[in-house]
Amino acid sequence: MQVLAERTASCEVTIRSAYASTLEGKLPCAILAVGGFGRAELFPHSDVDILVLVESADAAQAAKADLSVFLRSLWDAGMRLSHSVHTPDECCQIHEGNTELSISLLDQRLLAGSVAIYEKLDKKLPDFLRAKELILTRKLAELARSRHSKFHATIYHLEPDIKETPGGLRDVHLVQWFGKLGGRAFPPELQASRDFLFGLRYGLHHRAGRDKNVLDFESQDALSSQPEELMRDYYRHARAVHRCALWMIDAAETTRDKSLLEQFRSWRGRLSNSDFTVSRDQVLARSPQQLRSDLPLVLRLFTFASRHGLALAADTEARLVEFHTQLGDLQWPAVAALLRLPRAASALRQMNATGILNKILPEWKEIECLVVRDFYHRYTVDEHTIVALEMIEPAHDARLATLFEETGRIELLRLALIFHDIGKGDGDHVRQSAEIARAVMLRWNAPAEDIDTVEFLVLQHIMLSSVMSKRDLADPATARDLAAQVGTVENLKLLTLLTYADIGAVFPGAMTPWRLEQLWRVYLGTHEELTRELETDRIPASIEGASTEEAALLAGLPARFLRTHSKTEIAMLVGLAREQATETAAVAIDRRYGAWRATILAADRQALFASLAGALAGFGFNILKAEAFSNARGMVLDTFAFEDPHRNLEQNPEEVDRLQRVLLRTALGKHNVNQILDSRKRAHKQKRRFAPKVGISNHAVPNATLVEVLAEDRPGLLHDLASVISGAGYDIDVVLIDTEAHKALDVFYLKQQGGQVPEEAHGELHQRLIAACGL
Amino acid sequence: MKKIEAVIQPHKLEEVKEALKGIGVDGMTITEVRGHGRQKGHKEVYRGMEYQVDLLPKVKIEAVVADDRVDEVATTIAKAARSGKIGDGKIFIYDVVDAIRIRNDDRGESAL
Repeated sequence: MQVLAERTASCEVTIRSAYASTLEGKLPCAILAVGGFGRAELFPHSDVDILVLVESADAAQAAKADLSVFLRSLWDAGMRLSHSVHTPDECCQIHEGNTELSISLLDQRLLAGSVAIYEKLDKKLPDFLRAKELILTRKLAELARSRHSKFHATIYHLEPDIKETPGGLRDVHLVQWFGKLGGRAFPPELQASRDFLFGLRYGLHHRAGRDKNVLDFESQDALSSQPEELMRDYYRHARAVHRCALWMIDAAETTRDKSLLEQFRSWRGRLSNSDFTVSRDQVLARSPQQLRSDLPLVLRLFTFASRHGLALAADTEARLVEFHTQLGDLQWPAVAALLRLPRAASALRQMNATGILNKILPEWKEIECLVVRDFYHRYTVDEHTIVALEMIEPAHDARLATLFEETGRIELLRLALIFHDIGKGDGDHVRQSAEIARAVMLRWNAPAEDIDTVEFLVLQHIMLSSVMSKRDLADPATARDLAAQVGTVENLKLLTLLTYADIGAVFPGAMTPWRLEQLWRVYLGTHEELTRELETDRIPASIEGASTEEAALLAGLPARFLRTHSKTEIAMLVGLAREQATETAAVAIDRRYGAWRATILAADRQALFASLAGALAGFGFNILKAEAFSNARGMVLDTFAFEDPHRNLEQNPEEVDRLQRVLLRTALGKHNVNQILDSRKRAHKQKRRFAPKVGISNHAVPNATLVEVLAEDRPGLLHDLASVISGAGYDIDVVLIDTEAHKALDVFYLKQQGGQVPEEAHGELHQRLIAACGL
Repeated sequence: MKKIEAVIQPHKLEEVKEALKGIGVDGMTITEVRGHGRQKGHKEVYRGMEYQVDLLPKVKIEAVVADDRVDEVATTIAKAARSGKIGDGKIFIYDVVDAIRIRNDDRGESAL
C-alpha cells in the first residue's frame, strides 16, 4: 500500500540523516531495517525495528556514547524505535530464547553504513538459514501455536486483535516467513486477504492515533456503515489466512523425529480405504473429481476424517470448494449417522471451515460469521454453535459426561445444538430457530417424533438457565413446574446437556463450577420429581378427545405415557386391547429406531414382568429399554425395546412368529424361562466395570416403595432383578428400564398389599438385589 | 462511607438489583460464591443414593455507600432478598477508609 511505503521511506530518510550526523566515521557499522520496517510495511504507529550491525562487541562498547546519541536523535524525531546491536557472527547463530532475532533477519535490508560489514552478514546468512531451516520452522510453529492458544485457537472473536489473533496479520507474516525459509513465494490467493487486513490496521491506527490493533465494536462502527458485513468479510479473510498458516504449522511439526514419525505415518497410511488415502496425516480422495457432486462421498469423507482425527489435504479442500448439491439430496438417515459419530463436532467444524455446511444446510448461511453484540458472547453465532457441540465431546464434568453416555439419542441433542441459535439475527430467535429446525427436518424426512424432540429442545433451550438464575431451586414448586414442562427423564437429560453446552460456549470459562452446581441442582430436583410422578400422576378416567376404548385402556397408566406415545401408537394399543379382551393376553412385535419392540398386554399375575424379561433374554436379545405400567382395570402393559445381536428376527421372519407365541405363552404362565436362561448366563463371562448400586426409599411417594438399581448390564439382568422382587412377594407397580453404555438404570415402584414395603425389609431386599446384579 | 456485603440466594439477585436501582444505588460488585451458615447444606437423593451437599451456591453483593444511606440500603437489600426460609443469607457492614476513582483520582464519597 502506498501510505505504508511512504511512511517507510520517510523513516529511512530520518535514519540515514541521523546516521550521517551522529555515527558515520565514529563507529564502523551498518544500519539494517528488520521486521515490518524491513518489509517496507510501516503502519502509521507501528514500531520501527532496526539492527545495528557491528564488527565486534568491543567496537560497539567503545562507541557506546555515539550510539546513544544516534538512538536518542531518532527518539527525539518522534520515532518509536526498537533496536538491537549484533555482530554478523551473532546473527548467524541460534539464540535459545531469542529466536525472534533470526526470524527478524528474514526481512532485513541495508539502510546505511558500512557495506563491507553488511556483506559479511549477507554472505553467511543464506547458508545459516538453510542449515537451520528445520529448527527455525519448528520454533516458528511453536511460537504460532502458543500465540493461537492465547486466543483459544479460534478466529471468531467478536472484537478481534487483527494483528495477533489466529488468521490475523501475524499469521500473514508467518506464511511469508515459512515461504522464505522454504524458498516459496507468498501464496497469490492470500494477496486479497493481506490487503484487506492491511487496510483494517491502517484504519485502526489512523483513527486511534496510536498502535491500536483491536477491532472493537466502536471501531467497527467507525470503519464501516455496515459493520456486520465488514466483520463477515474479516472472518472470511481471516479464515483463509488461518487455514494456510495451519497447513504450514502442521507441515513444520511433522518434520520432527523422522524415524518414529515414518513408523507412525505408515501406520496411519493403513487407514486408507477404497474411497480415501491417508498421506502425511492428511486425507486425499481417490477420485477427487467426484467430490464436486457426490454427496454420500463428501459425507463419508468427513466421517472418515473425524473418526481418525485427520485433517483434509489442501487438494481435497480445494475440490470441496466446487461442491454443489440439491436440497433434497440430503436425507435423515445420512444426517443421523453423521451426528451419531463419536467426534461429530470435529466433522462439523471441518464442514463449516470448508463451506460444506452452508451447502448442505443453506439455513446455516444466516449465522455464518454473524456477530450479535451483547455483553456475554465472545464468538460469532456459528462458532458459538460449534464450540457448544465440542463442549459435550466429552463433557469435562464427570456427571455430565455420564448423562451424555446415557443419552440414547445423541444425534437429536447435536441437531438441537446446531439449530438452537440458527434463527438469530433479529426478532424472537428461539421461535425462529425452532421453526427452521422443523422445516429442515421435514425436508430430510425425519420421523415425526424426532422432529418434535428437536423442536422441543430448541424452544426450551433457555429454560434451565433461566430457572437457574430466577427460581428458588429449593422450592418443590420449581421442580414440579419444570417436570411438567420437560415431560420425561429422557428430555431432561437432553435439555441439561444442551444447557451445559450452550452456557459453556459463550466464552472460555463461562461454565463456572458455581453455574455447574446450579445446573446440576436443577437436574437433580427435576429428575426426582419425574421419578416420583411416575407413581403418583396417573391418567384420569376421562380424557378430553379420547374414545371410550382409549379411555378404558389409558385410565390409571402414568401420566408420562401420554407424553411418550403418539396417537398412532395408542391406536395400535387399542387394537391390542381388543385382542386381549378375547384372548386374556396379546402380544405385538415391531421395529422402531432400529431396535425391536415387544408390546404385551395381559391380566396381571405374580412374576409376569420377570418372566417376560426372562423369555426375551432366553432368545439372546439385549433389552435396551422397558416399561411396565398397570391401568385402572388391572391390565398390565409391558413394553420392551431390545436389540437382536445375531439378527435372527431379521433373517428368519418365522422367528418373529415364534417369539410372539413364546411371549404369549409366558404372559399366560405356560412357559418356563429359567432353564434356557441358566445356560445363557453360564456362557456370559464379562469383567465387571463398576460395582452395582441399589437404593430403596419409602420417602419418594406415599403409597409405594421406590427401588433404583444402577448395574452393569448383562443378559438376563432384568429377569433376575424382577424375579428377586416377585420372589419376595412384592408387586411391581411401575417399571422404567434404560440401558446405555453397558449400564442398566432400573426404576421400580413396588407395593406390598397395596402399600409400601416396610423399612425393616429393605435391608434384605437390598442384599438380594445386589447379589442378583452380580450373578 | 460503609461497605455493605450481602450474601443472598442466587434467584433473589435480580430483585435485589432492581430494588437497589430503585433507590439510586447503581454501583455494585456481584460474585458467585458457595457457602453455608446455620443452614449447613442438605441431603439430595439421586438414583436412590443420598448425597450430602455442604456448600450451596450463593451470590455476594458488595456496594460502598455514604454513611447516611447505610440503613436505607441494608433494609432494601434485606427486604428484596427475604423469602422467610432458612438460607436467605446475611448482610455485613464495614467501615471504609477511603475510595479512589482510578480514572480521575476523585477521592472519598465523590468517587462512589
